[in-house]
Amino acid sequence: MSLSFPRHRRARTAALLALVLLAPTACADNERGAPARGAVKIGLLASLSGTYQAVGKDMRDGFELYLSTHDGKLGGRQVELVVADEGNGAATAVPAATKLLKQDRVVALTGVVGGGSVAAVYPLLNETKVPFVGANGRPALKDVSRVWHTSYLSDEPGEAIASYVHDNVDGSVYAIGPDYQGGWDELRGFTEAFVKAGGRLANPDGKTTFTPFPATTNFTPYFARIKASGANAVYTFYAGGAAVDFVKQYAQSEIKDLPLYAAGFLTEGGVLDAQGPAARNIYSVLNYSPDLDNAENRAFVAAWKAKKDGSPTTYAMASYDAAAVLDRAIADAGDDPTPERINAAIGRLGQIASPRGTWQFSPTTHAPVQKWYLRQVRPDGRALSNTIVGDLATVGG
Amino acid sequence: MAAGIRIDPYLVPALDGVAYGLLVFVAAAGLVLCFGVAGILNLAHGTLFAIGGYTAAALLDGGWPSLALALVAGTVAAAAAGALVAGLLTRSAARSHLTQALLTFGVALAGGSLLVGAFGPDDPPVRVPAALDGSVAVVGHRYPAYRLVFIAVAALLAGLLHLAVRRTRAGMLVRAAVDDAEMVAAMGVSPTRIRVGVLAIAGGLAGAAGVLGAPIIGPGTDTADTVLLLSLVVVVLGGLGSMAGTLLAALAVGQIQTLGVALAPSTAPFLLFAAMAVVLAVRARLPLAPRRAT
Repeated sequence: MSLSFPRHRRARTAALLALVLLAPTACADNERGAPARGAVKIGLLASLSGTYQAVGKDMRDGFELYLSTHDGKLGGRQVELVVADEGNGAATAVPAATKLLKQDRVVALTGVVGGGSVAAVYPLLNETKVPFVGANGRPALKDVSRVWHTSYLSDEPGEAIASYVHDNVDGSVYAIGPDYQGGWDELRGFTEAFVKAGGRLANPDGKTTFTPFPATTNFTPYFARIKASGANAVYTFYAGGAAVDFVKQYAQSEIKDLPLYAAGFLTEGGVLDAQGPAARNIYSVLNYSPDLDNAENRAFVAAWKAKKDGSPTTYAMASYDAAAVLDRAIADAGDDPTPERINAAIGRLGQIASPRGTWQFSPTTHAPVQKWYLRQVRPDGRALSNTIVGDLATVGG
Repeated sequence: MAAGIRIDPYLVPALDGVAYGLLVFVAAAGLVLCFGVAGILNLAHGTLFAIGGYTAAALLDGGWPSLALALVAGTVAAAAAGALVAGLLTRSAARSHLTQALLTFGVALAGGSLLVGAFGPDDPPVRVPAALDGSVAVVGHRYPAYRLVFIAVAALLAGLLHLAVRRTRAGMLVRAAVDDAEMVAAMGVSPTRIRVGVLAIAGGLAGAAGVLGAPIIGPGTDTADTVLLLSLVVVVLGGLGSMAGTLLAALAVGQIQTLGVALAPSTAPFLLFAAMAVVLAVRARLPLAPRRAT
């Protein structure tokens, strides 16, 4: 029923869309990919309004940071970046993507927060034959010949940390997560690899406990069940507001002394500030941490901090990398970087130097084969930060 | 498994259900006052709660004075917003529930956008007084100290509310207005004044619930919708006749949301609405009870 739907955001997004659709179409007659001499037009679609706007804005800022630290050029060509609002999902993402692909005629599309949005935009990509370098959401797709992701697949964080949890927890582990596609994937990645490694789930029926999403705001009854199960540790995945509720209530619950392991999104970005001291000591797995010690990351973090408060997130980093991917692919695409040639060039990239460490696209999934890191929330000066504790598995492909 | 059911693991959810239920009661009491007493369907009620929540997030700094300040500021701000809604509901608009719903729906949309504009899209952190920011032992279990104190405070609020409606002149006037609005008007009390007063008090209640409940149902973009939904469920379950019915319904909602989830997690998404459907079905088979005011 509509009461549970974020109405105000819809209304605002609708107003924004109306503005977008009213915008003049000065460039519509140009050839795709050649709006001006030697320049290229890139489309960035991300949630600038709605539930995921913190993630979307991080992605936009990450891409723009790469441009501003590279003279506004990708592959030696001046870039005209066209930003559009993905809103809350497919309903707002499709018209925005249609405008970018058909009216602005961009040579490549990047960004996109939600996996649902990617799935909805996917037919448009096939129709216009424009390559998509996604920086976050990744649904299951049949044909990824024009789809690339600089982020990860949803089951990879859990897969990467499973054997570490098995080695370091003396006893059984309780698995709990939100009841939607992202939650199923994240938890399945963990439980499958964990059981395969010889681990035992503490859940009574051996199956992950899924909480209604996004309706669950009170986790106390679940904590009581975890306590009763006799678990020795907990593995979870939540993001956004649910992550704040989960962590704050966990710290005051009767299972507060059980070690908490999680996919990194539980304590990533703005949610960590909202969680405060309650998040201390939580272990999480992610493909990035701002304190990684490599030249690319030092330059990235320094450039980010010169412009913004706080440290960059994995969302900003993935979008920064999407720009790096396009930078090298456009340079490699010849004198006339058409969408088709850029797409072919992405497939030839090989190793990519990145703030997260070196990675490459998997030839089968077109998502990164990358190293995952174990992080722990520790005090860093006055604030809390996700500090690297060690390396985990290299996963992907 | 039936023999293995023990009471112990369910003590904390049951206690938490009381805390949650009382919070829902304080939040829903305002809606019951509006709808049941003044006949106004205020769909902006959740937004008034959110005003209290955001006020708490903005003002609380971990000390007691800030809690008192936030409580006063949140209550006053939400009461003012409630009075504003009453002001918008002109006499003609007040006649039809559909018009009221549309108007207050619009207010909720605008208010939600204003709140997000003012406080940002992220859920802001809420700092409770340092003395309560921990957990205490309750019959061998850990339970958040703040929630324990909240139970006492909310119970006090519920008692005061009951006394106010039963014993004060204002309460009697309001109850009289339900029984016979024209007679009250003939006695020289303006129905508009009653309407503004009731909406302001309802807003103040929502604001107070928002401030005190911020550590439990924290302020965020979805708060207004969550609270409105829970309040409407309480209205349906408890009926509009009495505060006692509202209290019972709210406590039931609290237990369904905590103890129910602990007992039968796989049915968690449906429990609340299943309970609502059962109550509606049972009530439809009973002869209509005469509507009482409190």
